[in-house]
Amino acid sequence: MRIKKMLLLIAVPVLMLFAVVAFFRQPGHAETAKAPPAPVAVDSTKCIAPAEYMRANHMQVLYAWRNSSVREGNRVYIAKNGSRFQKSLNTCLGCHSTNRLFCFNCHMYANVKPKCWNCHLSPMETP
Amino acid sequence: MKKVLMPLVMVAVLAIIPYVAVEFGKQQYLFGVVIPYAAAVLFITGFIYRIVDWLRRPVPFRIPTTAGQEKSLDWIRRNPIESPHRAWEAAARVLSEVLFFRSLFRNTRAEQHKDTTLAYASDKWLWLGGLAFHWSLLVIVLRHARFFFVMVPGFSDFLDHADSFFDVTLPALYLSDALALAAVTFLVVRRFADAKVRLISLPTDYFPLFLIGGIVTVGILMRYVVRINIMPVKDQMLSLVNLSFAPPGEIGSLFYVHLFLVSVLLVYFPLSKLMHMGGIFLSPTRNLCNNSREKRHVNPWNYDIKFRTYSEYEDDFREKMKKAKLPVEKQ
Repeated sequence: MRIKKMLLLIAVPVLMLFAVVAFFRQPGHAETAKAPPAPVAVDSTKCIAPAEYMRANHMQVLYAWRNSSVREGNRVYIAKNGSRFQKSLNTCLGCHSTNRLFCFNCHMYANVKPKCWNCHLSPMETP
Repeated sequence: MKKVLMPLVMVAVLAIIPYVAVEFGKQQYLFGVVIPYAAAVLFITGFIYRIVDWLRRPVPFRIPTTAGQEKSLDWIRRNPIESPHRAWEAAARVLSEVLFFRSLFRNTRAEQHKDTTLAYASDKWLWLGGLAFHWSLLVIVLRHARFFFVMVPGFSDFLDHADSFFDVTLPALYLSDALALAAVTFLVVRRFADAKVRLISLPTDYFPLFLIGGIVTVGILMRYVVRINIMPVKDQMLSLVNLSFAPPGEIGSLFYVHLFLVSVLLVYFPLSKLMHMGGIFLSPTRNLCNNSREKRHVNPWNYDIKFRTYSEYEDDFREKMKKAKLPVEKQ
């Protein structure tokens, strides 16, 4: 009896949380139904944001890019100053892969290993 | 209700203090350097004080609790773990207690049925929840070694890989994070669910649960939701390990909440029931050998009693005894 009650006490809030999250994350809910903007070419001549900002926040930017480009099909990023970039690792690596250790210097030090290179070519591997 | 809400409010206030102080008061140095050092010093001295205090208490008699046949005649099968006879058997028993919560596995539960009969049944839920809680906390603590060493030690790397085995979410979800959160929720709910447990639960039972729950929650928020910049965090942790007093870099306030709650936990540790971490090794009902029949254990603070044996008595009174025709052993 007691165990059933306890399981219910845990399961009900968890399921409710899932339901709420699922509701808000369903495709088309958050005004994503409108057509994606016109595609832009990969442009690696300038950075999308100041280096200081990118150093601290590149993970949030890449996470947002992954979600919006892969899941919502929106591949255009509009920077603070209005210039448009293609949401692609190629935009970054077109310039940053000149230094083979560009990612790894810090990521080795902090021991943070996201699985980017399971699919993408890392600066180490590009010729 | 008050005994649940009070610790909850205390943890909430403790979490808000560093947030406000760092966000609005620019107290990075106090919360990033001074308080962690003070907490570490208090934890280490407090822990050692408690253990030394317990070690100095004499344990004159063997008082192990046993649940098996002690060593007897050769042809009686004995139970070496349940009734340890040698030191290594007692050590094995303590270790099985520490690593697998052996005696909690025997936990039973009494329940009154509708027809007023009292029924007892095995209750393994606390054992399972406690095991999940302690093991996941251990893995989480060991995983944090990656912040304290420039070259990440192998065990930490291995745990990192094993823990993020399923590789869902970005960054990969640690199983121990989810387990710890689920287990701490279970341990709190367990205290609410049963009237008997609810009655004997005290604020000191809820406070560490809420505190650890808060630490885990803030850690999860930093990793999976806010995704804070980890470089200055590692810089800061390395500088703390190297006993440097350099001011911390640009770190999000959430990190200071995490660090402050951990500092609170460290200070609270030697003052509370959390000392069972060290105390379990010193509990005499577990760590003593059951060998009273084989070896005489003399109470060290006994008086020096002058015994008078029968042969001494006879030496004194032999002649008188002979006269009275009493039998004597020596002529």
